[in-house]
Amino acid sequence: MSIGFAAYPTDRRPEPVRRAPLVSNGVLGMLVFIFTEVMFFAGLISAHSIVKSQVAGQLWPPYGQPRLPVEETALNTLALVVSGLVLVLAWFAFRREPNGARIPLLLAILLGAVFVGFQGAEWLALLGEGLTMQSSTYGGFFYLIVGSHAVHAVAALGGLLWAFRRLDLGELTASQLATVSAFWYFVVLVWPVLYVKVYL
Amino acid sequence: MSRAVIAVLALLLLAVLPDVAHACPVCFDARDENRQAFLATTVFLTLLPLGMVAGAGLWLRKRARDVDAESESDPSDA
Repeated sequence: MSIGFAAYPTDRRPEPVRRAPLVSNGVLGMLVFIFTEVMFFAGLISAHSIVKSQVAGQLWPPYGQPRLPVEETALNTLALVVSGLVLVLAWFAFRREPNGARIPLLLAILLGAVFVGFQGAEWLALLGEGLTMQSSTYGGFFYLIVGSHAVHAVAALGGLLWAFRRLDLGELTASQLATVSAFWYFVVLVWPVLYVKVYL
Repeated sequence: MSRAVIAVLALLLLAVLPDVAHACPVCFDARDENRQAFLATTVFLTLLPLGMVAGAGLWLRKRARDVDAESESDPSDA
């Protein structure tokens, strides 16, 4: 004896409703990754805040440690924010005509490279002035937080370069561009928070 | 010594233990700035993941509505 779906013949079963995916697999994966990275930076910021609050007399930066280049980095922050805005333009241009995204995407990459290059030069100058990981907790936190962001910025720039290469070959999809852009937006949006906490 | 007396002594001993235990990292630093920093970062790290999950949920709900509206306006896609 077989027990089956005799009361519901297969030819009468309603077809399952197939709806379009709300978000592509790439973007969803990137969003989950970004969530974890947000918590990583939140942990660093929290540790920095607590150590800073424990300093006697609220002397921060500590005596004898070099001051960070606040104004120059503010300009660099502007370059990074503009690169994020240009990437938004690249996205809308891509939606209209993929080749139209070429110039704004390249501009976003160049501005990102300027940011990373300036940060590298700033590190070299600060190392020359005696600010190292071992010189103080101030130096340790500076290199840990800003260095972590720099690693993310370099990785995200690699993603944008990869997207530009695929755009050049005519193989870039909207999902791929959205995925690498999401990572760059994270790099752009987290930086002003780090700047305020670490530099000011 | 009876068991009841031992139990009472053990309870009394437990009652005085918290006086010397520095289990809480906030308790041993009396500075107000430090206490405020611990409080602020606790609130921050508690609310941040909840906010992100809530934000993602709201965004996905909006996306679902947009996709449904698109498929209703263009039945050929269904």
